[in-house]
Amino acid sequence: MWRRLWQWLDERAGLASLTDAFLERKVPRRVGWLHTLGSATLFLLALQVVTGVALSLYYVPTPDHAYESLKYITQTVPFGAFLRGFHRWGASLIVVVAVLHMVRVFFMGAYKYPRELTWAIGILLLGVILGLGFTGYLLPWDNRAYWATVVGTSIVESWPVIGGFAARILRVGTDVGIRTLIRFYNLHTFVLPAFLGWLTLAHLYLVLQQGIAAPPAAEGRRVSRSTLRAPDFREAYRQEVEEKQRTGIPFYEALWKDGVVALVLFTLLAVMALLLEIPTEKVADPSDVNYLPRPEWYFLFLYELLWYFKGPWMVVGTFVIPAALFLALLLVPWLDRRPERHPLRRPLASSVAAAGIFAAVYLTYLGATAPLPPSATAAALPPGGPKVAVAATPEAGKRLYEAQGCSACHAIRGQGGAAGPDLSRVGRTRDAAWLARFTRDPEAVKPGSPMPPYKDLSEAELQAIAAYLAVLR
Amino acid sequence: MKGVAEKGGTSRRQFFNRILTGIGGLIGVGAGAPLAGFGILPALKEEALDWARLGPAEMFVTSEPKLVPFTHVVPKPWPEEPVKHAVYVLKKGEADFVIYDIRCTHVGCPINWNAQAKRFFSPCHGGVFDIEGRVQAGPPPRALDRYEVKIENGILYAGRLYRVDESLRRTA
Repeated sequence: MWRRLWQWLDERAGLASLTDAFLERKVPRRVGWLHTLGSATLFLLALQVVTGVALSLYYVPTPDHAYESLKYITQTVPFGAFLRGFHRWGASLIVVVAVLHMVRVFFMGAYKYPRELTWAIGILLLGVILGLGFTGYLLPWDNRAYWATVVGTSIVESWPVIGGFAARILRVGTDVGIRTLIRFYNLHTFVLPAFLGWLTLAHLYLVLQQGIAAPPAAEGRRVSRSTLRAPDFREAYRQEVEEKQRTGIPFYEALWKDGVVALVLFTLLAVMALLLEIPTEKVADPSDVNYLPRPEWYFLFLYELLWYFKGPWMVVGTFVIPAALFLALLLVPWLDRRPERHPLRRPLASSVAAAGIFAAVYLTYLGATAPLPPSATAAALPPGGPKVAVAATPEAGKRLYEAQGCSACHAIRGQGGAAGPDLSRVGRTRDAAWLARFTRDPEAVKPGSPMPPYKDLSEAELQAIAAYLAVLR
Repeated sequence: MKGVAEKGGTSRRQFFNRILTGIGGLIGVGAGAPLAGFGILPALKEEALDWARLGPAEMFVTSEPKLVPFTHVVPKPWPEEPVKHAVYVLKKGEADFVIYDIRCTHVGCPINWNAQAKRFFSPCHGGVFDIEGRVQAGPPPRALDRYEVKIENGILYAGRLYRVDESLRRTA
């Protein structure tokens, strides 16, 4: 019965030639689990599309209703919390899997002739995925969403030349408001998915066209340094295709691994969606001065970078480095043009990539574990008032230290900001007299110090703070 | 007939290509220009903002900046959009007010007035501003942005947002 239906269809639609081209094509024998990362990304993207379409059944993209409609989805609609969890955690998982896929392709040198374009389209796809993450972040219209978008569009605004225009176009005006939300919804559900679809098709077409690159062998013929000419690439590729025809296996026989990985990822997401709670915040409040904006974790390394570039150099962190990073990734196949594919035979490329990965992971770690500045603590204290006599004791100094907001910039035993030096052991190297002088007027003691002067403190108050700091050892 | 070209002339293929490119270009411009204008131009338009009422001028008594939530309304062209905001109002003299935007000039995090330290702190990257809005520490590239000030019948209003330079003079 099925066979006859298939024959009927094949006769009219020529399906067999399609499935043969896809399933019967030869793939290298040594294709392993690492090669499932691409199909895993595709699988997760498909899940995002399905769950996203489902969520749009009830989600209302206006500031008046967005927050409440998500509450309705999560609390009232059957399977609502489950599907929202799927979409929310799936977004994070995609970034992980897509980046791992990129790292795998990089270290196996699979972006070299004739696969340069496949790589470049893959990088564009990564950009689209990050864009979907950024635009999707605003849709819940809670405080986190609102302030992350204020920060994100402010970063765009700092870009040279086009920054002002680009930010206005993103926000539809000068502020994040009604039209920003509807624009982000439009980008998130129509524009970016369209790019995602077409770029994915092109990526897959190229993979089918070129075949899967065999994992590079450490031994085997070493490509001589003098043969940088293109024909060498062509010859190597011809040999690769020939060997694949001779010793490869049909894709159909390698596909089970992709199935297993898809099932594992699906189970993982289902468990996350069931067990993890999506952090709920207050509805977006543009007048909340006690809110601490934080980007999604995969943007943290760029966000951390902003600490290091002050004043007019800000644009280095907001534009130059991210743009250079994206361009460098896009142009990898044209930056590394040697035919060698094994990572150990490309020491420069491998070590630059390893250093880059380490830097991104380290910055993410710094951002994720950064002590939070206690923004609202001092504001709760009674303001100014007549100065009371302060004893120069460490206890009084500690109270002043907290009241004066020192911890906005300085950390003591993991509590406080990271703009200034950690003061956990400052008493070991500086005595109270020096600390009092420095706190009063840092510029006079250490020219060029970025710390603001505290000349408005009384001598007794300075002595108290210094006494407190001096006992930190 | 393909490739048959007279000297200096055009082959059939080239002729068809030019016609199709021309048609495609016309349709592309004809559809692309309105689409781009539709999506982009409203975003670039300077919105007319009503002066936003902050409250009676006499409710500001101290020389401490005071946090005031308010709503800016973008009048008419639809959508009539209430823009919720907050500002810090600093009363310096009898009719001398400064209105600071609460967004840090670095990447827009909400700044926080610390009454003990007499400074504004940003929670994100360690930006610190003094009571005049000047940068004291951290990465912010310029002093706090301000709103135009108006007092009418004893009521304080906030107008347009503008930027200031190091000497706190209006730049844009």
